[in-house]
Amino acid sequence: MMKSLKFEGSGREYFKIWIVNVLLTIVTLGFYYPWAKVRNRRYFYANSILNDRNFEYHATGKQLFIGFLVAMTLFIVYVVIQQVSPIGSLMLIGALFIAIPWLIWRSMMFNMRMTSFSNVRFDFAGQLRDSYMNFFVYPVLLMIGYVVLAIGVEVLMPILGMGLTSVISFVVFLTFIVFAVSFIKKKNTEYIINLSRYGQGIFQTNVKTKEFMTIMLKTVGIAILTMFATALVIGALVYATVGLETLVSLKEAANDPQMMQAKMAAIMPIVGLAYLGMILASMFIMAYSMTRQRTYVYQNTILDDEITFGSTLKAKQFAWIMITNFLAVIATLGLAMPWAKVRVAKVMLENTQVYADAGFDQYMTQKQNESSSLGEQIGDAFDVDVGLGL
Amino acid sequence: MIQGKWYAQGSAASLDATLAATSEHTFLIKIENGAAYEGSFSALNVGNRLGNTERKITLEDGSIFATKDNDFIDNTFKKQLFSNDFIHTLESKMRWVFVALVITALTTFGLFKWGVPWSSTKIAYMLPHETNNLIATHTLEFLDAYIFEKSKISQAKMEEIRQHFESKLLPLSEDKEIDYRLHFRLWSDGNLSIPNALALPSGDIILTDKFVELSKDQDEIDSVLLHEMGHVVHRHTLKMVIESTFITVATMMIVGDSNGLADMGVGLGSLLVSSSYSRGHESEADRYAFEQMLTAKIDPMAFSDIMNRMMSYMDQSSKNDKNGKDPDEDIFDYLSSHPTTKERVEIAQQYSQCFKKGLTTCEIVLEPQ
Repeated sequence: MMKSLKFEGSGREYFKIWIVNVLLTIVTLGFYYPWAKVRNRRYFYANSILNDRNFEYHATGKQLFIGFLVAMTLFIVYVVIQQVSPIGSLMLIGALFIAIPWLIWRSMMFNMRMTSFSNVRFDFAGQLRDSYMNFFVYPVLLMIGYVVLAIGVEVLMPILGMGLTSVISFVVFLTFIVFAVSFIKKKNTEYIINLSRYGQGIFQTNVKTKEFMTIMLKTVGIAILTMFATALVIGALVYATVGLETLVSLKEAANDPQMMQAKMAAIMPIVGLAYLGMILASMFIMAYSMTRQRTYVYQNTILDDEITFGSTLKAKQFAWIMITNFLAVIATLGLAMPWAKVRVAKVMLENTQVYADAGFDQYMTQKQNESSSLGEQIGDAFDVDVGLGL
Repeated sequence: MIQGKWYAQGSAASLDATLAATSEHTFLIKIENGAAYEGSFSALNVGNRLGNTERKITLEDGSIFATKDNDFIDNTFKKQLFSNDFIHTLESKMRWVFVALVITALTTFGLFKWGVPWSSTKIAYMLPHETNNLIATHTLEFLDAYIFEKSKISQAKMEEIRQHFESKLLPLSEDKEIDYRLHFRLWSDGNLSIPNALALPSGDIILTDKFVELSKDQDEIDSVLLHEMGHVVHRHTLKMVIESTFITVATMMIVGDSNGLADMGVGLGSLLVSSSYSRGHESEADRYAFEQMLTAKIDPMAFSDIMNRMMSYMDQSSKNDKNGKDPDEDIFDYLSSHPTTKERVEIAQQYSQCFKKGLTTCEIVLEPQ
């Protein structure tokens, strides 16, 4: 029988925890941050429930603190150098790029080991070598492929002429990008899921590049349609409200600063609206791509040949949550953040299904080595994406 | 007595269990399979309370008793939970949450309004003067390579401005560690020659050809040079580096655990904060220039005259330049990182009145905006 997960936290309750975290972080000039982070995570994990059993986050503030200090020092050095020396900052970006696979590997390990479900810990058995393949070698190959294609276009241009070259290069570039990104996505998914452990249990995923390509092509199609529709709506609004004269007379108004300012004031709301429209449209596109991939990956993942998964998260539903959250957070200057986070957790969990007739009772935590939080903290400071984002 | 679940160490299998306090410091846990634990409270490791999430009590053998009856646990183990009490009390009482909200808002405001500028100033002056040279290394070379061209001003004119600068303005400088050098460069964007003056933290001051051309007399050049010297004396570049570092680190912490949703709002906020700092620096440099002008017996109106002329030249040109960028860009940039010209002119007028009375100091009445 398929069972959905539940989220039992409430925005009201989390708001209180969140605001106390913010307060203590500010009055301690940031040093409370690791403890705040632990409390946040604990709250979300402990309220995620399946079959009356909950998840748990086990890291302590003390454990995170050293990693936090090192990460902060590195981050401050990075920010200062970035402003002072262009060459130094290029070198730092290079160094970060090289360090990312290590950061992801350490973070995965730390976060999985600090997470338990029903008293049994997760683990991550990935190798550093594979992390470098996934998050360094493949992306570099993608870039090389891109450069090779670009050179190819330069070569073809004089031979085939402008028109034909554009058509060919559009098709070739799109095919290449869609294929390469989907291939990397498949490899990343395999790396992260197949090497995850729940107690002695082993996760297994069976995903294909072709499926990711289908999802990506549909996403591109939807992106074009959505952007076109948004532009159309905004155009209609401009026409209906200010009329075209304002836009046309803008150039003429340029000699007169006063008139110019008045014109600008009339146009500002529309520029703002267009910007907002584009943000909302891109949120929908992101929601589409994310929910489709989620459904596909969950369907094809199993734990120990017995426990299977499913996702019923729909693009429209998820986009609605993201868009309304975004507007609410902006309108309340951030105060709606706790509610926003709770809503996201709720919709994600309630649309996650687990099929586990045999139950979880046979699982046991396996012996693990201590792992440090350094990678996780540096990744956090530099905003490195860890995991699949599903 | 309360209901709960019992887990053997590291096992996912749970059994129903009950917990009871048998005296003020002893407990009894009974498990459905007949087993039982008995002992004193000190043998238990009681987890911190977090909202109404399930509470874990770890026993000496690593097994766990879990319950949702948080209030019972809080009452029974009051003495052991002393340290957790503080945070949970804050979180559970609405009035404390309200106080936290107010303190947070005030502290954040105060921190960005006064804390960051104040500590940036302190740090900027704590660092040796060489830091200024260090951050300016290669800057001029970079500008020469990508932005500036060789000046077309005659050698004689350059020499005249330099001579005047050394004889009249340099003696005003109190900080003898700063080694001022004047440079002349042509800065053009398309067909448009841009009037501007800028100072590097090392004391290198660059005047563009168009600026020299637009200035009517030596006083106007002096007023702008003094403004640039103000940036150098007050170590504004260094302060800006430190202030941006503060802002970036704060941004990182706020955005930290969130899902990228609020990034944009925070980005906008940090942009507003940093342009407000930048306006502060401009006003500070203005003030430095005005005060030095009083000392050097130059009418502060010279500054407002040249500023106005540069502004209207830019407005005029962007109108004529069909291929140029949108005119609004200039206006909005200007509004954001500099005080409004109107405001600067008003202050210049006040200083000018002091100048006409022959004063060397001036009390400025700032009108609230």
